[in-house]
Amino acid sequence: MIFELTEEQNLIRDMVRQFAETEVAPSARIRDEEERFDRALMFDRLSELGLTGIVFPEEYGGGGADYISYAIAVEELSRVCASTGVTLSAHLSLGANPIYLFGNEGQKQQFLAPLARGEKMGAFGLTEPAAGTDAGGTKTTAVKDGDSWVLNGTKIFITNAGEAETYVVFARTDKNAQKHHGISAFIVEKGTPGFSFGKKEAKMGIRSSPTMELVFENCRIPASQLLGEEGQGFKIAMKTLDGGRIGIASQALGIAQGALEAAVNYARERKQFESPISRFQGVQFQLADMATQIEASRLLVYSAAFKASNGISYSQASAMAKLMASETAMRVTTQAVQIFGGYGYTREFPVERMMRDAKITEIYEGTSEVQRMVIGSALTR
Amino acid sequence: MKILVCMKHVPDMESKFKIAADGRWYDGGDLAWRINEYDEYAVEQAVRLKEQLGNSDITVLSIGPERVKEAMKKALAMGCDRGVHVLDDRPSDRDAMAIATIIAAFARGRNFDCIFTGMQSQDRGSGQVGILVGEMLGLPAVSTIVDFSCNGDNRYTVKRELEGGVRAVVEVRGPALFTCQLGLNTPRYPTLPNIMKAKKKELLTVPVTELAGTGNVQDTVQLFFPEKKGGGLLLEGEIPELADKLIAILKEKTTVLA
Repeated sequence: MIFELTEEQNLIRDMVRQFAETEVAPSARIRDEEERFDRALMFDRLSELGLTGIVFPEEYGGGGADYISYAIAVEELSRVCASTGVTLSAHLSLGANPIYLFGNEGQKQQFLAPLARGEKMGAFGLTEPAAGTDAGGTKTTAVKDGDSWVLNGTKIFITNAGEAETYVVFARTDKNAQKHHGISAFIVEKGTPGFSFGKKEAKMGIRSSPTMELVFENCRIPASQLLGEEGQGFKIAMKTLDGGRIGIASQALGIAQGALEAAVNYARERKQFESPISRFQGVQFQLADMATQIEASRLLVYSAAFKASNGISYSQASAMAKLMASETAMRVTTQAVQIFGGYGYTREFPVERMMRDAKITEIYEGTSEVQRMVIGSALTR
Repeated sequence: MKILVCMKHVPDMESKFKIAADGRWYDGGDLAWRINEYDEYAVEQAVRLKEQLGNSDITVLSIGPERVKEAMKKALAMGCDRGVHVLDDRPSDRDAMAIATIIAAFARGRNFDCIFTGMQSQDRGSGQVGILVGEMLGLPAVSTIVDFSCNGDNRYTVKRELEGGVRAVVEVRGPALFTCQLGLNTPRYPTLPNIMKAKKKELLTVPVTELAGTGNVQDTVQLFFPEKKGGGLLLEGEIPELADKLIAILKEKTTVLA
């Protein structure tokens, strides 16, 4: 076992870190404040750097790199701006990856390649008002009508919604089938008649990332935009989320790393009782725990990513990585605010934003409870 | 056109430096390493020249231990075509003359039309290697360039930076060597597809013994941190007088008023 990044992974980390620090970090605070998504910076620049299709083969416009490189890219972006990190993660893992995994050749050429090249942005529509963790409760319907499918229903809490051009959407195609079996996946493009966007969510964190409702009212799409087979939707959603968890775990890891570095720098400079607070063992112990938990999370994330790249089953590994990294992010950012004291509670310093951003990583793409269900059921099967 | 770029691997300047046990150089043990900043300008200028002219081939050369290969991969990902790694485990034992001799030994007979180096390294900072290589190869060497244009037909117009914010325009006919200064360009990011492509580019390792010529002509006998002095310069006097003094200093030491 070799715990070392490859030359290529190191180069990718250096490149993304330099980009993140030079271009993304300076506007992170104001974009959060204004709840503003900056597509030119947060997506188009990622496309120019070749990051929008990192893990896909070159023949589909991708970069041909591995999942560890992808994890590193999301981690480095999230270290300075969690909203930019999730933009990439939702686009790649949730929008593009199901088309790569389940699309036919024509769908890959038509829909995956523009996503991988970053000409289009991707998103994923699974959650509904009554179907979150319980995806089998999907109420949105798709009815076959000649050579088309007609979609009706509403999806909520959709990351990248409004901005994205290509959506993978789940809808019930068989009312009589058992709840998990009657669901199918579809590729729906922005601009299709009957497809519109509802309200934009006002959120606690990741406020520079748009979250909106998708509304389908007799939205007619060609039959060729059924993804995978009819009734295969639940499986497609679960497989997609296995990969998505690596993205969110990487996002959580980056948030935690950013908070740790901010806390260490502050502790070295902040003087109380005529001494930098970093000299106090109480503070050092807190920093030591934060760093140790982050490093443990990193190993879990990279290990899950390694499995994903090498054809090893990674459902349990990605659940563990996401559970550990997201709960670490919440603990570490809360601790970072504590080390900053009163200043940490103000919006002048980045740690309060990191703490607000961290919370969502325990919720979306499977709550911490769902991760424990995945791990627990695999253990006791 | 055949282009050569010379680059050095130097410690990240935000590192905490310690003097090595022999007292003559810094301890390289725990440091993170980077491409020398000035050499990144050299790489970028070489790639831009190739983009302008087409049909060119850029060789990047670096002297050092195994670790320098990673930085060379970055240069390849930025657009250099091939790399020559001169394997030398202790390049810091060599002075500017010895390093220049090695580079010249490689370049001699290879007919490079244009050579770019940084104007100095961020660690030793002698500022001599590029110019010495030019001399050894019998090429005109233009130092501290801040602007570069190729007029085709092997003719170049460059701007040099002089003291006190003064600049000079120099015209030179190739083959020639240029040492690159801050402000020449903004180095590009090595994009992910180019990082992947760099893996397939030729990166040849040559033992330093095959190229080494003369030894050192100078030796560093001691490396030390300067004693800490009081902070800054305190100007005193009446306000108009202070303003004049400040303007004079800004004009002399910086380019903000140039």
